[in-house]
Amino acid sequence: MLNQILTVAEKELNDGWRDRRAMVSSALYCLMGPGVVSMVSLAVHDSQPVLIAMMSVFTLVSVFVGGMNVAMDSIAGERERRSLIPLLMHPISRLDLLLGKWLAVSAFSAAGLALNLAGYAPLLHRAPPLALALCLVPLSLLAAALELWISVLCRGVKEAHTYLSMLVFVPMGLGMFMVFSPVAGHGWWKFVPVAGQQLQLEAGMRGAQLDPLAILFLSFGTAVLAGMALVAAADRLEQDDVVYGG
Amino acid sequence: MIEIRNLQKQFGAVAALRDVSFLAPDGAITGLLGANGAGKSTTLRIACGVLKPGGGEVLVDGISPGADPLALQRRVGGLLDHAGLYARLTPRETFAFSGRLHGIPPLRLRERVEETIAFLGIEAVADRRTGGFSLGERMKTALGRALIHSPRNLLLDEPTSGLDVPSVRALRHLLQRTRDAGACIVFSSHVLEEVRALCDQVVILAQGRVVAEGTPGELCRQAGATTLEDAFVAFTGAAEVPEC
Repeated sequence: MLNQILTVAEKELNDGWRDRRAMVSSALYCLMGPGVVSMVSLAVHDSQPVLIAMMSVFTLVSVFVGGMNVAMDSIAGERERRSLIPLLMHPISRLDLLLGKWLAVSAFSAAGLALNLAGYAPLLHRAPPLALALCLVPLSLLAAALELWISVLCRGVKEAHTYLSMLVFVPMGLGMFMVFSPVAGHGWWKFVPVAGQQLQLEAGMRGAQLDPLAILFLSFGTAVLAGMALVAAADRLEQDDVVYGG
Repeated sequence: MIEIRNLQKQFGAVAALRDVSFLAPDGAITGLLGANGAGKSTTLRIACGVLKPGGGEVLVDGISPGADPLALQRRVGGLLDHAGLYARLTPRETFAFSGRLHGIPPLRLRERVEETIAFLGIEAVADRRTGGFSLGERMKTALGRALIHSPRNLLLDEPTSGLDVPSVRALRHLLQRTRDAGACIVFSSHVLEEVRALCDQVVILAQGRVVAEGTPGELCRQAGATTLEDAFVAFTGAAEVPEC
Protein backbone atom coordinates (compact mmCIF):
# COMPACT_ATOMS: atom_id res chain seq x y z
CA MET A 1 0.00 0.00 0.00
CA LEU A 2 2.74 2.46 1.00
CA ASN A 3 4.70 1.31 -2.03
CA GLN A 4 1.77 2.17 -4.29
CA ILE A 5 1.37 5.61 -2.68
CA LEU A 6 5.06 6.33 -3.21
CA THR A 7 4.88 5.02 -6.79
CA VAL A 8 2.09 7.48 -7.59
CA ALA A 9 3.95 10.30 -5.83
CA GLU A 10 7.15 9.55 -7.74
CA LYS A 11 5.31 9.46 -11.05
CA GLU A 12 3.58 12.79 -10.32
CA LEU A 13 6.87 14.42 -9.29
CA ASN A 14 8.58 13.14 -12.42
CA ASP A 15 5.68 14.06 -14.70
CA GLY A 16 5.20 17.47 -13.07
CA TRP A 17 8.90 18.31 -13.22
CA ARG A 18 9.02 17.47 -16.93
CA ASP A 19 6.28 20.01 -17.61
CA ARG A 20 8.90 22.74 -17.79
CA ARG A 21 6.57 25.50 -18.96
CA ALA A 22 4.28 24.90 -15.96
CA MET A 23 7.31 24.77 -13.66
CA VAL A 24 8.63 28.08 -14.97
CA SER A 25 5.22 29.77 -14.65
CA SER A 26 4.82 28.48 -11.06
CA ALA A 27 8.33 29.66 -10.18
CA LEU A 28 7.68 33.11 -11.63
CA TYR A 29 4.38 33.28 -9.74
CA CYS A 30 6.17 32.42 -6.49
CA LEU A 31 8.76 35.15 -7.18
CA MET A 32 6.13 37.79 -7.92
CA GLY A 33 5.96 38.63 -4.20
CA PRO A 34 9.66 39.44 -3.85
CA GLY A 35 9.40 41.43 -7.11
CA VAL A 36 6.49 43.54 -5.90
CA VAL A 37 8.00 44.05 -2.46
CA SER A 38 11.30 45.16 -3.98
CA MET A 39 9.44 47.76 -6.07
CA VAL A 40 7.61 49.01 -2.97
CA SER A 41 10.92 49.21 -1.10
CA LEU A 42 12.08 51.77 -3.68
CA ALA A 43 8.96 53.88 -3.17
CA VAL A 44 8.54 53.84 0.61
CA HIS A 45 11.04 55.39 3.01
CA ASP A 46 11.82 53.45 6.21
CA SER A 47 9.81 50.66 4.73
CA GLN A 48 10.82 47.54 6.69
CA PRO A 49 7.50 47.05 8.63
CA VAL A 50 5.46 47.58 5.45
CA LEU A 51 7.66 45.24 3.46
CA ILE A 52 7.44 42.50 6.08
CA ALA A 53 3.64 42.81 6.22
CA MET A 54 3.46 42.52 2.43
CA MET A 55 5.96 39.70 2.41
CA SER A 56 3.89 37.65 4.86
CA VAL A 57 0.88 37.84 2.54
CA PHE A 58 2.78 36.95 -0.63
CA THR A 59 4.56 34.08 1.10
CA LEU A 60 1.27 32.43 1.99
CA VAL A 61 0.10 32.94 -1.60
CA SER A 62 3.24 31.16 -2.84
CA VAL A 63 2.29 28.10 -0.75
CA PHE A 64 -0.97 27.86 -2.70
CA VAL A 65 0.62 28.65 -6.06
CA GLY A 66 3.57 26.23 -5.89
CA GLY A 67 1.53 23.07 -6.43
CA MET A 68 -1.42 24.55 -8.29
CA ASN A 69 -0.42 23.45 -11.80
CA VAL A 70 0.39 19.91 -10.70
CA ALA A 71 -2.88 19.60 -8.75
CA MET A 72 -4.83 20.88 -11.74
CA ASP A 73 -3.12 18.41 -14.04
CA SER A 74 -3.34 15.44 -11.74
CA ILE A 75 -7.11 14.84 -11.54
CA ALA A 76 -8.97 17.35 -13.72
CA GLY A 77 -6.23 17.00 -16.32
CA GLU A 78 -6.39 13.20 -16.10
CA ARG A 79 -10.13 13.33 -16.74
CA GLU A 80 -9.68 15.68 -19.67
CA ARG A 81 -7.02 13.61 -21.43
CA ARG A 82 -8.83 10.38 -20.47
CA SER A 83 -6.05 8.84 -18.44
CA LEU A 84 -8.11 8.68 -15.24
CA ILE A 85 -9.97 5.47 -16.11
CA PRO A 86 -6.79 3.60 -17.06
CA LEU A 87 -5.32 4.78 -13.76
CA LEU A 88 -8.36 3.59 -11.79
CA MET A 89 -8.02 0.17 -13.42
CA HIS A 90 -4.96 -0.49 -11.26
CA PRO A 91 -5.41 -2.32 -7.95
CA ILE A 92 -4.99 0.78 -5.80
CA SER A 93 -7.67 2.35 -3.62
CA ARG A 94 -8.78 5.83 -4.58
CA LEU A 95 -7.67 7.19 -1.22
CA ASP A 96 -4.16 5.78 -1.73
CA LEU A 97 -4.15 7.22 -5.23
CA LEU A 98 -4.98 10.63 -3.83
CA LEU A 99 -2.42 10.28 -1.05
CA GLY A 100 0.28 9.73 -3.65
CA LYS A 101 -0.81 12.73 -5.67
CA TRP A 102 -1.11 14.78 -2.47
CA LEU A 103 2.49 14.02 -1.47
CA ALA A 104 3.67 15.22 -4.86
CA VAL A 105 1.54 18.38 -4.89
CA SER A 106 2.64 19.14 -1.31
CA ALA A 107 6.27 18.82 -2.36
CA PHE A 108 5.77 21.33 -5.19
CA SER A 109 3.89 23.61 -2.80
CA ALA A 110 6.74 23.45 -0.26
CA ALA A 111 9.23 24.11 -3.08
CA GLY A 112 7.22 27.20 -4.05
CA LEU A 113 7.36 28.40 -0.44
CA ALA A 114 11.13 27.82 -0.28
CA LEU A 115 11.66 29.67 -3.57
CA ASN A 116 9.57 32.59 -2.33
CA LEU A 117 11.50 32.85 0.94
CA ALA A 118 14.77 32.61 -0.96
CA GLY A 119 13.58 35.51 -3.11
CA TYR A 120 13.07 37.70 -0.02
CA ALA A 121 16.41 36.86 1.59
CA PRO A 122 18.54 39.41 -0.32
CA LEU A 123 15.81 42.03 0.00
CA LEU A 124 15.01 41.81 3.70
CA HIS A 125 18.41 40.45 4.79
CA ARG A 126 16.80 37.90 7.04
CA ALA A 127 14.97 34.60 6.97
CA PRO A 128 12.08 33.42 9.12
CA PRO A 129 12.96 31.36 12.23
CA LEU A 130 13.23 27.63 11.52
CA ALA A 131 10.50 26.92 14.09
CA LEU A 132 7.98 28.42 11.68
CA ALA A 133 8.45 25.40 9.42
CA LEU A 134 6.30 23.57 11.97
CA CYS A 135 3.25 25.52 10.89
CA LEU A 136 4.22 26.46 7.32
CA VAL A 137 4.85 22.90 6.11
CA PRO A 138 1.36 21.77 7.24
CA LEU A 139 0.04 24.76 5.29
CA SER A 140 1.62 23.21 2.18
CA LEU A 141 -0.20 19.98 3.02
CA LEU A 142 -3.48 21.87 3.39
CA ALA A 143 -3.02 23.84 0.17
CA ALA A 144 -2.26 20.61 -1.73
CA ALA A 145 -5.29 18.82 -0.26
CA LEU A 146 -7.65 21.69 -1.08
CA GLU A 147 -6.27 21.96 -4.59
CA LEU A 148 -6.72 18.24 -5.19
CA TRP A 149 -10.25 18.41 -3.84
CA ILE A 150 -11.07 21.20 -6.28
CA SER A 151 -9.36 19.27 -9.06
CA VAL A 152 -11.57 16.23 -8.33
CA LEU A 153 -14.68 18.41 -8.42
CA CYS A 154 -13.86 19.87 -11.83
CA ARG A 155 -14.42 18.26 -15.22
CA GLY A 156 -11.46 19.77 -16.98
CA VAL A 157 -8.38 21.91 -16.69
CA LYS A 158 -10.13 25.17 -17.61
CA GLU A 159 -12.72 24.77 -14.88
CA ALA A 160 -10.08 23.71 -12.37
CA HIS A 161 -7.93 26.70 -13.28
CA THR A 162 -10.81 29.07 -12.59
CA TYR A 163 -11.56 27.67 -9.14
CA LEU A 164 -7.92 27.18 -8.17
CA SER A 165 -7.24 30.81 -9.07
CA MET A 166 -10.09 31.75 -6.72
CA LEU A 167 -8.54 29.61 -3.99
CA VAL A 168 -5.39 31.72 -4.17
CA PHE A 169 -7.52 34.69 -3.09
CA VAL A 170 -8.12 32.98 0.28
CA PRO A 171 -4.60 33.55 1.61
CA MET A 172 -4.41 36.85 -0.25
CA GLY A 173 -7.69 38.22 1.07
CA LEU A 174 -7.24 36.87 4.56
CA GLY A 175 -3.67 38.13 4.58
CA MET A 176 -4.68 41.67 3.56
CA PHE A 177 -7.38 41.63 6.22
CA MET A 178 -4.83 40.59 8.85
CA VAL A 179 -2.44 43.35 7.77
CA PHE A 180 -5.01 46.13 7.94
CA SER A 181 -7.47 44.96 10.60
CA PRO A 182 -7.20 46.33 14.13
CA VAL A 183 -8.36 42.99 15.54
CA ALA A 184 -5.48 41.12 13.90
CA GLY A 185 -3.16 39.49 16.37
CA HIS A 186 -5.73 39.51 19.12
CA GLY A 187 -7.63 36.59 20.59
CA TRP A 188 -8.45 33.57 18.49
CA TRP A 189 -7.16 34.83 15.13
CA LYS A 190 -3.73 33.40 15.84
CA PHE A 191 -5.24 29.91 15.98
CA VAL A 192 -7.02 30.15 12.61
CA PRO A 193 -5.15 28.28 9.85
CA VAL A 194 -3.69 30.60 7.19
CA ALA A 195 -4.35 33.75 9.32
CA GLY A 196 -2.39 32.28 12.22
CA GLN A 197 0.52 31.32 9.97
CA GLN A 198 0.63 34.82 8.60
CA LEU A 199 0.70 36.38 12.07
CA GLN A 200 3.50 34.07 13.18
CA LEU A 201 5.45 34.68 9.97
CA GLU A 202 5.16 38.43 10.38
CA ALA A 203 6.20 38.22 14.03
CA GLY A 204 9.13 35.96 13.15
CA MET A 205 10.36 38.30 10.42
CA ARG A 206 10.13 41.29 12.77
CA GLY A 207 12.20 39.44 15.32
CA ALA A 208 9.29 39.37 17.78
CA GLN A 209 8.53 36.49 20.13
CA LEU A 210 6.80 33.52 18.48
CA ASP A 211 3.83 31.89 20.20
CA PRO A 212 4.73 28.18 20.66
CA LEU A 213 1.17 27.22 21.65
CA ALA A 214 -0.26 28.88 18.55
CA ILE A 215 2.36 27.24 16.33
CA LEU A 216 1.60 23.79 17.72
CA PHE A 217 -2.13 24.35 17.43
CA LEU A 218 -1.74 25.62 13.86
CA SER A 219 0.41 22.60 12.91
CA PHE A 220 -2.16 20.18 14.22
CA GLY A 221 -5.26 22.06 13.09
CA THR A 222 -3.93 22.68 9.59
CA ALA A 223 -2.96 19.02 9.18
CA VAL A 224 -6.41 17.92 10.37
CA LEU A 225 -8.07 20.23 7.83
CA ALA A 226 -5.80 18.80 5.12
CA GLY A 227 -6.89 15.29 6.10
CA MET A 228 -10.55 16.29 5.94
CA ALA A 229 -10.11 17.80 2.46
CA LEU A 230 -8.37 14.61 1.30
CA VAL A 231 -11.13 12.37 2.61
CA ALA A 232 -13.71 14.58 0.88
CA ALA A 233 -11.72 14.37 -2.37
CA ALA A 234 -11.41 10.57 -2.11
CA ASP A 235 -15.15 10.30 -1.46
CA ARG A 236 -15.84 12.41 -4.54
CA LEU A 237 -13.50 10.26 -6.59
CA GLU A 238 -15.65 7.24 -5.73
CA GLN A 239 -18.68 8.77 -7.48
CA ASP A 240 -19.78 7.37 -10.83
CA ASP A 241 -19.94 10.70 -12.62
CA VAL A 242 -16.23 11.30 -12.01
CA VAL A 243 -15.55 8.14 -13.99
CA TYR A 244 -18.24 8.86 -16.54
CA GLY A 245 -17.39 12.52 -16.99
CA GLY A 246 -20.92 13.68 -16.17
CA MET B 1 -12.90 -16.33 -17.66
CA ILE B 2 -15.39 -13.57 -17.04
CA GLU B 3 -18.94 -14.31 -16.02
CA ILE B 4 -21.47 -11.49 -15.92
CA ARG B 5 -24.64 -12.28 -13.98
CA ASN B 6 -27.76 -10.12 -14.19
CA LEU B 7 -25.79 -6.90 -14.27
CA GLN B 8 -27.76 -3.69 -13.72
CA LYS B 9 -26.67 -0.07 -13.57
CA GLN B 10 -28.63 3.13 -13.24
CA PHE B 11 -27.26 6.66 -13.82
CA GLY B 12 -29.89 8.98 -12.37
CA ALA B 13 -33.07 8.38 -14.35
CA VAL B 14 -31.23 6.47 -17.08
CA ALA B 15 -31.06 2.67 -16.89
CA ALA B 16 -27.75 1.95 -18.63
CA LEU B 17 -27.91 -1.78 -17.89
CA ARG B 18 -31.20 -3.58 -17.20
CA ASP B 19 -30.13 -7.22 -17.26
CA VAL B 20 -26.84 -8.29 -18.79
CA SER B 21 -25.59 -11.86 -18.41
CA PHE B 22 -23.00 -13.73 -20.45
CA LEU B 23 -19.94 -15.90 -20.09
CA ALA B 24 -16.64 -15.02 -21.76
CA PRO B 25 -14.44 -18.16 -21.69
CA ASP B 26 -10.64 -18.44 -21.63
CA GLY B 27 -8.82 -18.80 -24.93
CA ALA B 28 -11.56 -16.99 -26.83
CA ILE B 29 -12.38 -13.49 -28.01
CA THR B 30 -15.91 -12.47 -27.07
CA GLY B 31 -17.33 -9.57 -29.02
CA LEU B 32 -19.77 -7.12 -27.48
CA LEU B 33 -21.95 -5.58 -30.14
CA GLY B 34 -24.53 -2.88 -29.70
CA ALA B 35 -25.63 0.52 -30.88
CA ASN B 36 -24.48 3.67 -29.08
CA GLY B 37 -25.88 3.66 -25.55
CA ALA B 38 -26.60 -0.08 -25.59
CA GLY B 39 -24.48 -0.59 -22.47
CA LYS B 40 -21.20 -1.96 -23.88
CA SER B 41 -18.87 0.53 -22.20
CA THR B 42 -20.76 0.41 -18.91
CA THR B 43 -20.52 -3.38 -18.88
CA LEU B 44 -16.78 -3.26 -19.51
CA ARG B 45 -16.20 -0.55 -16.90
CA ILE B 46 -18.01 -2.58 -14.27
CA ALA B 47 -16.16 -5.74 -15.32
CA CYS B 48 -12.82 -4.05 -14.76
CA GLY B 49 -13.80 -2.63 -11.36
CA VAL B 50 -13.91 1.05 -12.31
CA LEU B 51 -17.67 1.32 -11.76
CA LYS B 52 -19.70 -0.45 -9.11
CA PRO B 53 -22.66 -2.51 -10.31
CA GLY B 54 -26.15 -1.39 -9.34
CA GLY B 55 -27.23 -5.03 -9.20
CA GLY B 56 -25.96 -8.45 -10.24
CA GLU B 57 -22.32 -9.46 -10.13
CA VAL B 58 -19.14 -10.00 -12.08
CA LEU B 59 -17.10 -13.16 -11.53
CA VAL B 60 -13.54 -13.18 -12.83
CA ASP B 61 -11.89 -16.62 -12.93
CA GLY B 62 -14.77 -17.74 -10.72
CA ILE B 63 -13.97 -15.15 -8.06
CA SER B 64 -16.38 -12.44 -6.96
CA PRO B 65 -14.83 -9.18 -5.69
CA GLY B 66 -16.89 -9.54 -2.49
CA ALA B 67 -15.17 -7.73 0.34
CA ASP B 68 -12.09 -6.98 -1.78
CA PRO B 69 -13.06 -4.23 -4.21
CA LEU B 70 -9.70 -4.38 -5.98
CA ALA B 71 -9.96 -8.10 -6.85
CA LEU B 72 -11.17 -7.32 -10.37
CA GLN B 73 -8.34 -4.89 -11.08
CA ARG B 74 -5.76 -7.54 -10.13
CA ARG B 75 -7.15 -10.10 -12.56
CA VAL B 76 -8.15 -7.92 -15.48
CA GLY B 77 -6.27 -5.75 -17.92
CA GLY B 78 -8.14 -3.21 -19.96
CA LEU B 79 -8.04 -0.66 -22.69
CA LEU B 80 -11.04 1.56 -22.12
CA ASP B 81 -11.81 5.18 -22.93
CA HIS B 82 -9.10 5.62 -25.57
CA ALA B 83 -5.41 5.25 -24.85
CA GLY B 84 -5.23 7.79 -22.01
CA LEU B 85 -1.45 7.97 -21.82
CA TYR B 86 0.86 10.34 -19.97
CA ALA B 87 2.40 12.50 -22.68
CA ARG B 88 5.59 13.15 -20.74
CA LEU B 89 6.34 9.50 -19.97
CA THR B 90 7.90 6.99 -22.36
CA PRO B 91 6.30 3.57 -23.00
CA ARG B 92 9.03 2.00 -20.86
CA GLU B 93 8.20 4.37 -17.97
CA THR B 94 4.46 3.86 -18.50
CA PHE B 95 4.84 0.08 -18.26
CA ALA B 96 7.10 0.35 -15.21
CA PHE B 97 4.63 2.67 -13.44
CA SER B 98 1.73 0.35 -14.20
CA GLY B 99 3.70 -2.73 -13.19
CA ARG B 100 4.71 -1.20 -9.86
CA LEU B 101 1.06 -0.38 -9.11
CA HIS B 102 0.28 -4.04 -9.84
CA GLY B 103 2.90 -5.03 -7.28
CA ILE B 104 5.31 -6.77 -9.67
CA PRO B 105 8.72 -7.18 -7.90
CA PRO B 106 11.44 -4.88 -9.35
CA LEU B 107 13.62 -7.55 -10.97
CA ARG B 108 10.66 -9.31 -12.58
CA LEU B 109 9.23 -5.97 -13.65
CA ARG B 110 12.38 -5.10 -15.56
CA GLU B 111 12.11 -8.37 -17.49
CA ARG B 112 8.39 -7.96 -17.99
CA VAL B 113 8.78 -4.45 -19.42
CA GLU B 114 11.29 -5.75 -21.98
CA GLU B 115 9.02 -8.69 -22.83
CA THR B 116 6.07 -6.35 -23.38
CA ILE B 117 8.09 -3.98 -25.56
CA ALA B 118 9.25 -6.93 -27.69
CA PHE B 119 5.73 -8.41 -27.87
CA LEU B 120 4.31 -5.13 -29.13
CA GLY B 121 7.26 -4.50 -31.46
CA ILE B 122 7.79 -0.97 -30.21
CA GLU B 123 11.52 -1.14 -29.48
CA ALA B 124 12.18 1.88 -31.71
CA VAL B 125 9.93 4.18 -29.68
CA ALA B 126 10.23 2.60 -26.23
CA ASP B 127 12.26 5.50 -24.86
CA ARG B 128 10.42 8.32 -26.60
CA ARG B 129 7.79 10.31 -24.75
CA THR B 130 4.31 9.30 -25.87
CA GLY B 131 3.24 12.92 -26.49
CA GLY B 132 4.26 12.80 -30.15
CA PHE B 133 3.05 9.28 -30.90
CA SER B 134 0.79 8.29 -33.76
CA LEU B 135 -2.59 6.83 -32.81
CA GLY B 136 -1.32 3.33 -33.57
CA GLU B 137 1.71 3.77 -31.32
CA ARG B 138 -0.52 5.15 -28.58
CA MET B 139 -2.88 2.18 -28.78
CA LYS B 140 0.02 -0.27 -28.68
CA THR B 141 1.43 1.48 -25.63
CA ALA B 142 -1.97 1.43 -23.95
CA LEU B 143 -2.28 -2.27 -24.77
CA GLY B 144 1.15 -2.88 -23.27
CA ARG B 145 0.06 -1.11 -20.10
CA ALA B 146 -3.00 -3.37 -19.96
CA LEU B 147 -0.84 -6.48 -20.45
CA ILE B 148 2.05 -5.61 -18.14
CA HIS B 149 0.76 -7.74 -15.24
CA SER B 150 0.07 -10.68 -17.58
CA PRO B 151 -3.69 -10.68 -16.93
CA ARG B 152 -5.68 -13.76 -17.88
CA ASN B 153 -8.56 -11.47 -18.82
CA LEU B 154 -8.46 -8.52 -21.20
CA LEU B 155 -11.21 -5.96 -21.78
CA LEU B 156 -11.09 -3.71 -24.84
CA ASP B 157 -13.56 -0.96 -25.62
CA GLU B 158 -13.46 -0.12 -29.33
CA PRO B 159 -9.67 -0.45 -29.50
CA THR B 160 -9.47 0.00 -33.27
CA SER B 161 -11.42 3.26 -33.30
CA GLY B 162 -9.54 5.80 -35.41
CA LEU B 163 -6.72 3.44 -36.36
CA ASP B 164 -5.44 3.10 -39.91
CA VAL B 165 -5.51 -0.26 -41.70
CA PRO B 166 -1.93 -1.38 -40.86
CA SER B 167 -2.47 -0.50 -37.19
CA VAL B 168 -5.78 -2.40 -37.12
CA ARG B 169 -4.09 -5.45 -38.62
CA ALA B 170 -1.20 -5.22 -36.15
CA LEU B 171 -3.62 -4.90 -33.23
CA ARG B 172 -5.68 -7.82 -34.52
CA HIS B 173 -2.59 -10.03 -34.68
CA LEU B 174 -1.61 -8.99 -31.16
CA LEU B 175 -5.07 -9.90 -29.87
CA GLN B 176 -5.03 -13.25 -31.65
CA ARG B 177 -1.63 -14.07 -30.14
CA THR B 178 -2.91 -13.05 -26.70
CA ARG B 179 -6.01 -15.22 -27.16
CA ASP B 180 -3.90 -18.16 -28.37
CA ALA B 181 -1.86 -17.85 -25.18
CA GLY B 182 -5.09 -18.70 -23.31
CA ALA B 183 -6.40 -15.27 -22.36
CA CYS B 184 -10.06 -14.37 -22.12
CA ILE B 185 -10.66 -11.29 -24.28
CA VAL B 186 -13.86 -9.23 -24.32
CA PHE B 187 -13.92 -6.78 -27.16
CA SER B 188 -16.51 -4.15 -28.02
CA SER B 189 -16.79 -2.65 -31.47
CA HIS B 190 -19.12 -0.96 -33.90
CA VAL B 191 -17.32 -2.50 -36.86
CA LEU B 192 -19.24 -5.67 -37.69
CA GLU B 193 -16.70 -6.93 -40.20
CA GLU B 194 -13.99 -6.70 -37.58
CA VAL B 195 -16.11 -8.54 -35.03
CA ARG B 196 -16.84 -11.27 -37.54
CA ALA B 197 -13.14 -11.65 -38.39
CA LEU B 198 -11.84 -11.58 -34.84
CA CYS B 199 -14.42 -12.86 -32.39
CA ASP B 200 -15.08 -16.48 -31.47
CA GLN B 201 -18.43 -15.57 -29.99
CA VAL B 202 -20.60 -12.48 -30.02
CA VAL B 203 -22.97 -10.96 -27.46
CA ILE B 204 -25.45 -8.41 -28.81
CA LEU B 205 -26.72 -5.74 -26.42
CA ALA B 206 -29.71 -3.47 -26.93
CA GLN B 207 -31.09 -1.02 -24.39
CA GLY B 208 -29.11 -2.53 -21.54
CA ARG B 209 -30.09 -6.16 -22.20
CA VAL B 210 -28.51 -9.13 -23.95
CA VAL B 211 -30.71 -9.84 -26.95
CA ALA B 212 -28.63 -12.55 -28.61
CA GLU B 213 -25.40 -14.49 -28.24
CA GLY B 214 -23.49 -17.16 -30.15
CA THR B 215 -20.86 -17.49 -32.84
CA PRO B 216 -21.25 -15.13 -35.83
CA GLY B 217 -22.55 -18.11 -37.86
CA GLU B 218 -25.05 -19.09 -35.18
CA LEU B 219 -26.35 -15.52 -34.93
CA CYS B 220 -26.91 -15.37 -38.68
CA ARG B 221 -28.78 -18.69 -38.56
CA GLN B 222 -30.89 -17.59 -35.55
CA ALA B 223 -31.85 -14.38 -37.32
CA GLY B 224 -32.31 -16.04 -40.72
CA ALA B 225 -29.84 -13.51 -42.10
CA THR B 226 -26.99 -13.87 -44.54
CA THR B 227 -24.70 -11.26 -42.98
CA LEU B 228 -23.82 -10.35 -39.41
CA GLU B 229 -25.06 -6.83 -40.14
CA ASP B 230 -28.51 -8.12 -41.08
CA ALA B 231 -28.53 -10.34 -38.00
CA PHE B 232 -27.52 -7.37 -35.82
CA VAL B 233 -30.34 -5.25 -37.25
CA ALA B 234 -32.82 -8.08 -36.77
CA PHE B 235 -31.89 -8.57 -33.12
CA THR B 236 -31.61 -4.92 -32.11
CA GLY B 237 -34.57 -3.68 -34.11
CA ALA B 238 -32.39 -0.90 -35.49
CA ALA B 239 -34.14 1.06 -38.18
CA GLU B 240 -33.26 0.35 -41.77
CA VAL B 241 -31.56 3.20 -43.57
CA PRO B 242 -34.08 4.54 -46.08
CA GLU B 243 -33.05 4.33 -49.67
CA CYS B 244 -32.26 7.58 -51.35
